[in-house]
Amino acid sequence: MSSIARQKSFSLSKSRRTIQWLVVIGTFVLGLRHIMPGEASRGGSFDSFCAFGGIETLLPYLFTGHLLKSTNLLNFSVLLGTLGVSLVAGRAFCGWLCPLGAIQDFVAEWTRKLLGEKRHVRGKRSQTILPLRLPASIDRPLRYAKYIALIWIMIASLYAAFPPLREFCPVRSMFGLHMTTLLWVSLAVFLAGSILVERFWCKYLCPLGATLAIFNKISPIRLVSDSNHCNNCGRCDIECSMGIKNLPVNLDGPECIRCLECLDTCARDGSLTIQLG
Amino acid sequence: MKINPRHYPVIIIAAYVIFLLLGILLGFGPERGDESHGKSALMQLALMTLETLL
Repeated sequence: MSSIARQKSFSLSKSRRTIQWLVVIGTFVLGLRHIMPGEASRGGSFDSFCAFGGIETLLPYLFTGHLLKSTNLLNFSVLLGTLGVSLVAGRAFCGWLCPLGAIQDFVAEWTRKLLGEKRHVRGKRSQTILPLRLPASIDRPLRYAKYIALIWIMIASLYAAFPPLREFCPVRSMFGLHMTTLLWVSLAVFLAGSILVERFWCKYLCPLGATLAIFNKISPIRLVSDSNHCNNCGRCDIECSMGIKNLPVNLDGPECIRCLECLDTCARDGSLTIQLG
Repeated sequence: MKINPRHYPVIIIAAYVIFLLLGILLGFGPERGDESHGKSALMQLALMTLETLL
């Protein structure tokens, strides 16, 4: 009993939330640092710290040897860091280290609180109207939009001077502090979307998430469900911010962001475990 | 092999930092002012090894 109590005293959810806050504050400081004069002397523009910037400038760099404007070689290192996490643990970057993912989680939580949820009971469906859970007939086709966005951006990058997503990028609109009309629109759409649908950007539009999705199949660290212990209570499905249905059999799917909220919610020891290999 | 959930955040942060540093060591570091896109010693070594292998 004491060992169980000890195990439960550690909360993955709280650890994740702490890391997410640190990431958000760090990204905000980065944005603040880059509105000061002499941006180029600080190791590149705000854009050069973006993992997706590395993908946007990759093809032009390979074909012409030149980087897109506002990107930097540092983009490749940040991308490598992101791919490193994905190689080890699938889309864990999305669930733990992405500043946009963190903002969406915060917005969803604040929305529920504003709409009257006093205390979140883990594994129990929230009674608030928002964020919505779209019906599968709408949700499923929309999830392919991020792959289309990724292909479009990769093709457009070959003909562009600046990264194609730059003018619409929610990270720039949220943290970049150099606002344009398009970025204000992007910010409004991002925030409205996040209020309406939990992890709206990750589910439907994020091209970086589309890139990392493949790693869920090949990463050595993965979530494993034990059917001998699982009683299909559905607590994990309720807690999944990505809205994955029947989670115990869909743990390796491309939509899982490895946030481990399911593991933290699971009431049966040994039903869900993190395993290597 | 089971992994203790306590170690999971440490593993992903360590993976991020290690691969980020690897990228910087390979020469994909921040550029300041008019620095050219020179290849680092580690990158040259990697390219030489690749050429030898191929």
